[in-house]
Amino acid sequence: MVKMSKIETVSTATPSVLIGGAGGFWGDRTYAPVDMLTHNDLDYITMDYLAEVTMSIMSKSYSSNPKLGWATDLERWLKEGGISLLREKGVRLVTNAGGVNPVSCAQMVLDVACSIGWTNCQIAVVTGDNVLSILHSSAKEGEQFQHMFDKSKEPLLHHDEIITANAYLGAGPIGRSIAKGADIVITGRVADASLIVGCMLHASGWAQNAENEGLPICGPIHSWSKKEQQESLDLLAGWSVAGHLIECGAQVCGGNFTNLPANVDISDISYPIAKISLDGSSIITKSKGGGIVNRASVIEQLLYEIDDPSNYITPDVIVDISMISIEELGDNQVKVSSVSGRLPPERLKISSCYHDAYFITSQLLVPGPEPLAKAQQTDKILRKRVAHLKDIIIETEFFGAGASLPLGLRKLLDKTTHSNPREILVRWGVSSTNRQSLEVFASEIAPLVLTGPAGVSGYSARSKPRKQLAFFPTSIGRERVEEQVEITFLHTLRSEIEERYPWLKRNVTTRIDKVIMNSDSRTKLAVARVIRRRLHMPRICKVVD
Amino acid sequence: MKSKRVYLRELAHARSGDKGDLVNIALIAHDEAAFEILKQGITSELLKSWFEGWTEGPFEIYSIESIHSLNCIIHNVLQGGGTTSRRLDAQGKALGQVLLQAWIEV
Repeated sequence: MVKMSKIETVSTATPSVLIGGAGGFWGDRTYAPVDMLTHNDLDYITMDYLAEVTMSIMSKSYSSNPKLGWATDLERWLKEGGISLLREKGVRLVTNAGGVNPVSCAQMVLDVACSIGWTNCQIAVVTGDNVLSILHSSAKEGEQFQHMFDKSKEPLLHHDEIITANAYLGAGPIGRSIAKGADIVITGRVADASLIVGCMLHASGWAQNAENEGLPICGPIHSWSKKEQQESLDLLAGWSVAGHLIECGAQVCGGNFTNLPANVDISDISYPIAKISLDGSSIITKSKGGGIVNRASVIEQLLYEIDDPSNYITPDVIVDISMISIEELGDNQVKVSSVSGRLPPERLKISSCYHDAYFITSQLLVPGPEPLAKAQQTDKILRKRVAHLKDIIIETEFFGAGASLPLGLRKLLDKTTHSNPREILVRWGVSSTNRQSLEVFASEIAPLVLTGPAGVSGYSARSKPRKQLAFFPTSIGRERVEEQVEITFLHTLRSEIEERYPWLKRNVTTRIDKVIMNSDSRTKLAVARVIRRRLHMPRICKVVD
Repeated sequence: MKSKRVYLRELAHARSGDKGDLVNIALIAHDEAAFEILKQGITSELLKSWFEGWTEGPFEIYSIESIHSLNCIIHNVLQGGGTTSRRLDAQGKALGQVLLQAWIEV
């Protein structure tokens, strides 16, 4: 049975859907989702774990252990009370935590769900974003995959060691997963805002329309609405902007915020909630706790990591925010409206990474008097000592003396009077295709403490070269990706049996639980545990469209 | 008439972020008057002179009237991108605040 979304009424009397954004990257504060679920009655909670290169980092852990390759922070907060809150409050979770291995991620989620007795939890997995094999088969047809922004760069397939290539999927399969009854949706690479748009596809009934009509699970999703095309595109654009505003977590609630008022505490910063309306507008607000949502904080996040504001491209719709209206309602509520949409792109963006070179960093502290002169001297000495290494590129930064500024700005700012620094932190960032050269470079840092200018300090163990990944954005015709996208449901043997044969639930499975709880016979207990473990094993069920 | 030095932080607040090898710096004017000064003052040529040493560009500036904002796009500024940059601020996250320290003559 498909559960209907809780619809709450806000002052505008338009139904709106409450969606939380409780994480902005893999490594964000893990308390946030549990905190948000505790203090709010959400319809959906979304978690974005994937930055540009996260997939490649995950692919490294996957190659060392085929059960990994997903955002392990998810397991932590689900076990710290998250899973019970999702169940008790009936909040659906939508996340791209699946990374390069969404099925293993979903198996973990099912294990955690079973551990609290939620054995019929419906977990959908969206796969099909991995396009490595499509890329390689295209090579035979002569397609080389140009860089998305810089056509002068070597095409992707000219690089030897391509580690990952994933297309940014859109919201379609997420919406359809929920319409098919998912409590939790686990994806790999999808566009960040599409996590939120996917929730809206269900809440608006569009995904159910598409289910009823048997349409494919990937776009064009604007045609699912039964509305006029332009109206549908504008709605998708509005929902995408709301998604963009909350997918970086607390950055819209006073984090990384220039205009943070002095009286606002961000030590217990809260995470954002979008009240998204079925008319395409939204109200951005936040959970209980520190931080602030105001017009300025919303605009800063609106313009974060975008280029042409009239041409913000997502897999779902091309968004135009050049006429956007941002209205402060007070009490940490900001209304966002007047966004328009155009037809989605014919090609999907691919983010890929290849192994580029090796990299090390080292740093030393240079004290005064005249710390900058001494730091420059230290750098000169070091460069002389490694001059025989012809295949390394060295970047020296003098922190305390304007290293955060490009040269032109440094020249401008040096026209004003400034006090001399008390010390300088020198940092060397060095790359090379030759690992050995970097090892030689690293061995020359510590000796500077005894053989360099006076007072140089702060060395640690020789830094070890690490592999450097180069990020390469490119694109692919969307039909080639979308034909391989699938929704898979994971459930337990137990939930299948109980659904099909209710008498077995009464007479067998619940009795097994009772035995485990109450039995004083060791043999009985052991047998019951073995049976229950088998009953709770994840079973994979492919959804055929 | 003698020109006056106006610091960007008096005119705007800012946030920067990366996408591949480009950084976008949003300058959000405090009010309409400040926005007019920013629109006049911030040009591709000026950005080019400020980013000397890090990139030759290209530079793009988009203006969003309804929110009094300029979106400055600085291309080829991260030594290939956030993962291959040798600088500590590999993703240009500091650049918004860096720019607020600069001034324009009006």
